[in-house]
Amino acid sequence: MTLLSDLRQTLGNENVLEEPLELYIYSKDASLMRGEATFVVFPQSAEHVAAVVQIAGRHGMPIVARGAGTGLTAGASPTEGGIVLATTALNSIEIDSDNRTAWVGAGVINLDLSKTAAPFGLHFAPDPSSQSACTIGGNVANNSGGAHTLSEGSTTSHVLGLEVVFADGEIVVLGGQAPDAPGLDVKGLVVGSEGTLGIVTRALVRLLPIEPDVRTLLLDFPTVEAAVTTVSEIIAAGMIPAALELMDQRMTIAVENWLHAGLPVDAAAVLLAEVVGEREGVDSQASQIGEIGRANGAGDVQIAKTEEHRALLWKGRKSAFGAMAQLAPDYYLHDAVVPRTKLVEIMRTIYEIADRYELTLLNVFHAGDGNLHPLIAFDASEPGVADRVHKAGEEIVAACLKVGGALSGEHGIGLEKRDLMRMAFTEIDLDAQARLKEVFDPTGLFNPRKVLPDGSRCFDFGGVRREVPEGAWI
Amino acid sequence: MTYHPPHITRLAAESEGAPDAELTVAPKSPRDVASVLHHATEKGLKVQVWGGGTRSGYGSPPPPDIVMSMERLGEIESWVPGDLTLVVGAGARIADIESKLVGENQTAVLPEVPGRSTVGGAISAGASALRRGRLYGTRERILETTIVTGDGRIVRSGGRVVKNVTGYDLPKLSAGAFGSLGVVVSVCLKLWPLPPAGATVTVDGPDQASSVARPLAILEENDSTRVFLWGTDEDVSAMSGRLGGDSADGLDWPADPSGPYLWSVRVPPALTSQAIGQLPNGWRYLAIHGVGDIRAASDDGEGVSDLRAWAESVGGHLVVVKAPTDSLDGFDPWGSPPAGLDLQRRLIAEFDPARIINPGRLPGGI
Ligand SMILES: Cc1cc2nc3c(=O)[nH]c(=O)nc-3n(C[C@H](O)[C@H](O)[C@H](O)COP(=O)(O)OP(=O)(O)OC[C@H]3O[C@@H](n4cnc5c(N)ncnc54)[C@H](O)[C@@H]3O)c2cc1C
Repeated sequence: MTLLSDLRQTLGNENVLEEPLELYIYSKDASLMRGEATFVVFPQSAEHVAAVVQIAGRHGMPIVARGAGTGLTAGASPTEGGIVLATTALNSIEIDSDNRTAWVGAGVINLDLSKTAAPFGLHFAPDPSSQSACTIGGNVANNSGGAHTLSEGSTTSHVLGLEVVFADGEIVVLGGQAPDAPGLDVKGLVVGSEGTLGIVTRALVRLLPIEPDVRTLLLDFPTVEAAVTTVSEIIAAGMIPAALELMDQRMTIAVENWLHAGLPVDAAAVLLAEVVGEREGVDSQASQIGEIGRANGAGDVQIAKTEEHRALLWKGRKSAFGAMAQLAPDYYLHDAVVPRTKLVEIMRTIYEIADRYELTLLNVFHAGDGNLHPLIAFDASEPGVADRVHKAGEEIVAACLKVGGALSGEHGIGLEKRDLMRMAFTEIDLDAQARLKEVFDPTGLFNPRKVLPDGSRCFDFGGVRREVPEGAWI
Repeated sequence: MTYHPPHITRLAAESEGAPDAELTVAPKSPRDVASVLHHATEKGLKVQVWGGGTRSGYGSPPPPDIVMSMERLGEIESWVPGDLTLVVGAGARIADIESKLVGENQTAVLPEVPGRSTVGGAISAGASALRRGRLYGTRERILETTIVTGDGRIVRSGGRVVKNVTGYDLPKLSAGAFGSLGVVVSVCLKLWPLPPAGATVTVDGPDQASSVARPLAILEENDSTRVFLWGTDEDVSAMSGRLGGDSADGLDWPADPSGPYLWSVRVPPALTSQAIGQLPNGWRYLAIHGVGDIRAASDDGEGVSDLRAWAESVGGHLVVVKAPTDSLDGFDPWGSPPAGLDLQRRLIAEFDPARIINPGRLPGGI
């Protein structure tokens, strides 16, 4: 039987796409890189996923899992061809309010989970800016973060269990509601593995109580330095606000032109801070943050007075990417992380790099955890610009690594940053990661050529007595 | 006696409290660790990694040929309070580290009453702080690890920043792995600021704590239930007022119960009280409500089979943390094998091919 007839027989004709236009739509995520889908399938259950994995294995055809396709690193782009497995129909939500957990289908949209949990007084902490579109499966695969990662951690801290289909087509349930499942934390390894180790069909996630009260502040600063210093001093004062988000002037102007939210466009930097907790605590924290800001030269300190006001302040932040569209048709961004104490220094370097390449660069980022999002706005149809954009991006990443940072804070590596992995790790480090991949997926079925650069598996130690590369030990 | 070459014997050392073995070494660098492990792999010698010895009762390991003491690998490599990061050798004592961090009003959120235990030991045994309900477990603190694999590779993964998704998450995999992927030689930990105020409030029972949305901890022991609070002064006094009950300033953390037999009962969070009710008579316990982590001690092993059967029936576990040698004949230290055991075996084989680091500690006798 052909691959197509195998898939149709198992999933039903309606759950297999093969028309060129349909395939085209599913051949790209939100990054700039397009692949080519051979077929697109919509499994209706974990058993369907297992069947697709077995069929793909038999036909030697790779599988690329796809949630909403909002990924920014070509993770869900079938750049090596293959079956695109769309998780849309895996959309169940089972809330256990006593244990504050939920089993959630991989295709459930992040915000829908929190909306469903809200009547129980609960919510899902990871809140990527794309939360109204991105899926739990995508969040798990990319270990996504959000504005509230500073206080509650990335997705991995909220995944207690996973139902995964591995390369042999078996459905395995890892972890559970009880803490500290004995043995190696294999689920923890699947989180953040970008669809390269298996297909996640359901996730058991932790839900947090909705905090009794919240204060959201917007502070404007005459310099980026003043804003960054304020962030450091807030944390030094013993507070971990739920969010500390920063926008530079260019970004603020872009968002204001789009949203008309009354953002302070004259300020060099705008800081959005949010504190949550008991009422008495949030009031005192909010006033303390205001004081620290003013001492660092903040002009205006707005405290959201109503829920609508708060929503508007957040909308400004979460619309940053959307606002880019009116500046230029394309944007390119990295999401390198630097130690927070290096923020001022790295911001200067980034502006300098952009100026040197004559590029428009805007910054909006998670200042509390040093996670940068330098956005380059450009028009890909302009000759030679793509090359300059990539070179500038690479220099920015190199600069971040040089001050002790990391390549990606939340978007993942995918295809786009794969080759930059060599800047962050030695050959031995990469080889260890390649071994992990091999154990899970010996034939390279899942999302091939993502995350690790080609040739990562460069040493074959196998038996211990083999020759050892220089510097490996002793 | 096995022949140990001079570059290994020069690392020989005495280590207080460590078990007997043909050779005890105290490496001073990751390279030393690599040469010992490489030697052990070549000769097929079993290596027991020795931190503080506070959690050395897990699993059913065979007697070691070599004991590797981590005491000389406990230096702080870097600590930048403003970045909330600490890079430290795995052999550092938790108590020493926390007493330094408190000077800058920070904590690594490791176990509060650590005794002699080390950073690497707590990570490898997957031991978490009592504050884990609010601040999450030890696993979530690990940002970067440098491990030395059984065949002597020095592998770094993760990074020295508080948020990072660069590559596979090997650092978190070391939590609870008992060194099976490699001896953890150094780690970067995510620190947390200590807020200005804290209080410990004695309540009648865990339900009384429901007036506080997210307390730092709700701990129940045989004779008391206490709620631990922290935050600003306003926060703490408001919360303790709402709770009622006796409130004392500061956080007065209890030690885990002690005895010849130590157990870890792990159940879905909502079943914590029910689990306490299932404990055999005479057991001493410290339970973390909202987490389902119950640490217990007893004088014998009476009733453990029933307790395990119940725990597993509700999706939980009963783990033997420590028991006198040969006292629990036929009682598996971990219980029913976890799903994906074969995958775990194959993973470990890529890192410790001769299976020399802490063999026998993990479920399934791995
Ligand atoms: C406007 C905008 C704002 C964003 N803001 C943020 C942000 O604040 N924080 C952040 O972290 N990210 C952000 N992102 C990136 C992106 O939204 C996240 O990475 C998100 O988690 C991806 O989810 P998705 O469902 O779209 O996944 P996709 O893009 O479809 O897939 C992402 C990766 O996950 C894999 N995958 C998907 N489902 C599964 C599954 N079931 N099993 C195994 N692998 C799977 C894919 O193969 C791919 O490698 C943003 C993106 C956009 C466009």
